[in-house]
Amino acid sequence: MKNILTIFKKEFYRVISDRRLVFTVMLLPGLAIFMMYSLLGNAIGNQISSIQEHRIIMYQEYMPTAFKDMLIANEVKVDIMDLNDSDFDVVKQQIIDGEVDIMIIFPNDFESKILDYATQDNPEILTYYNFTEDYSSSAYNTMYGWLDVYSDEIVKARLDAPEDINPFDMDLDNPYHRLGTEDEASRKGMADLLPMLIIMFLFSGAMSIGPDSIAGEKERGTIATLLVTPIKRSEIAIGKVLSLSLLSLFSATSSFIGIILSLGKLMQSEGNVSIAFTTNEYILLFLVLFATVLVIVGLISNISAYAKTVKEASMLIMPLYFASIAIGMMSMFGGEPSTNPVVYLIPLYSSVNAIIQILVGSVSMATILVMLISSVVYVSILIYMLNRLFQNEKVMFKK
Amino acid sequence: MENLEVINITKTFSLSKKQQRIEKTKTKLKVAVKELSFTAYPGEIYGLLGPNGAGKTTTLRSIATLIKPDTGEIKVGDASTLKDPNGVRAKIGFLTSELKLEEHFSPNYLFTYFARLHGIVEEKIEERKEILFKKFGIDKFSEVKVGELSTGMKQKTSIAISLVHDPDYVIFDEPTNGLDVLTARSVTDYLEELKNAGKVVIVSTHILSVVEKLCDRVGIIIDGEMKVNDTINKVKSLDETGNLENVFFNLVEEAAQLRGEF
Repeated sequence: MKNILTIFKKEFYRVISDRRLVFTVMLLPGLAIFMMYSLLGNAIGNQISSIQEHRIIMYQEYMPTAFKDMLIANEVKVDIMDLNDSDFDVVKQQIIDGEVDIMIIFPNDFESKILDYATQDNPEILTYYNFTEDYSSSAYNTMYGWLDVYSDEIVKARLDAPEDINPFDMDLDNPYHRLGTEDEASRKGMADLLPMLIIMFLFSGAMSIGPDSIAGEKERGTIATLLVTPIKRSEIAIGKVLSLSLLSLFSATSSFIGIILSLGKLMQSEGNVSIAFTTNEYILLFLVLFATVLVIVGLISNISAYAKTVKEASMLIMPLYFASIAIGMMSMFGGEPSTNPVVYLIPLYSSVNAIIQILVGSVSMATILVMLISSVVYVSILIYMLNRLFQNEKVMFKK
Repeated sequence: MENLEVINITKTFSLSKKQQRIEKTKTKLKVAVKELSFTAYPGEIYGLLGPNGAGKTTTLRSIATLIKPDTGEIKVGDASTLKDPNGVRAKIGFLTSELKLEEHFSPNYLFTYFARLHGIVEEKIEERKEILFKKFGIDKFSEVKVGELSTGMKQKTSIAISLVHDPDYVIFDEPTNGLDVLTARSVTDYLEELKNAGKVVIVSTHILSVVEKLCDRVGIIIDGEMKVNDTINKVKSLDETGNLENVFFNLVEEAAQLRGEF
């Protein structure tokens, strides 16, 4: 135990006493995520408010006065210009170029056809917009909505009892039809996004220090100095895995804090996301993350011990990293934790499901325990394998 | 204190295609050491000589338990490298150019770290540190990171760290490599001190003058085989003029003739 602690402290000190490593492993992930997500959130917010504030530039032909009055009465932000003065193809090109948002052409006999609907065909309104352009798409959606309202008005006018246009009402006097809480909504949003990000950050944290700690020591020849000391190889393995796990957890925590602080901006809420986790949930989340990071570090350590150089280790770890991202992405489609206990035996996938359970607040202790115990078993196996690799002279000293 | 005995060890390595190209051979196996035996005694310095690739480092690495011989046995006192490798590691102080120190740490930190791994109590660590750091002049740069030290300073630090636990068996591979004359002298003087303290010392070196000056016994390995293994005087007497260099070159030449290179 004393030797494990000595190895642990040295590995830990190696990272925390190096300002550059502290910055790149512990501060940068959180800072980068916060800045990236905040910028992204601001950009999305700016784009949305810009569209909302934008005055639609619309060309029209034969637009009925009633529809025009409706737009004015409802203070729709639109500048209406007559097509009569311009050439159709010129305006079409202006829409493509983003100078005009929409063109609506009513038939010249629109109003007479509406009045004489019993004998006439339905008049066809032609709309032109650029679906690749945000202002134009938004203008189309706005005008489509108002044309729909205008359509209802016309139908009402044709009925003897206009109030009968709606055969039924929905939730006019039901203020409680939206069940659930903001907390649950936020939890659901987080459960869709966070498991993948957490797995990614845990992995990238371990990747940034793991290969250097083992493959780097092989490459630099410092592992041999350690191997001629009278300590068990298993003590070296456990000391390194525990230290790397704690450091990776710090790195992941930094990323996690970055996400939490920037999530509000990313989700376009006013403040931070309103989630009230209980103490038990925090403890469970920590246990699940630590068990997960142990498995990840165990895998990375074995690959690093097998590889001859840091470069080779990083290359060999990559497919595993992509696989972990793919596993994490599974949470984005469904968002519900699995109830099948067997799932909680599958490394990483079990972590994703356990994290979802905690985030959505539907914890099943039995399955979480299965996840934790199976992770400890996997880590033990991985440490045993690492121990064997440290004893293998072909692996340790191959050139 | 008991002898260090290398008993009939053989070690074979498989060659990668790259190594086959470098060694210009088509054989996939290379016998690095073949049925090699020698004994090093307490209070004596044993010199291991041989050209590059002769098998010296393989022999020393086998003694240090970094690799296992295919056959044969090595006894370091009452501990066997095969049956009790940790017991052997606790008894030996091993230094080779292959063993590097982590550049991020200072000599002071690394000395304490390795002392703890050797199970030395804290008070004793400071005591040993004071003696060895003073002996090799490390106290002047004990807080400087290894990465910022000169080759000589690094070598001195490596030597001090290999002796952190005051081992009874000291195995040094090219201990004066890269050192200036003054530092090399302090190292050879210290090896003599260790010998006088009754320790078993094994030194591998290319510098024949060092061997002549330091060693009580000499083993010359060529192509993995022990060609000569005796006291320094008896080895020197193999040449009419009593010149160790002549003995060495004659043996190298004989081996080359056997390989058909001359």
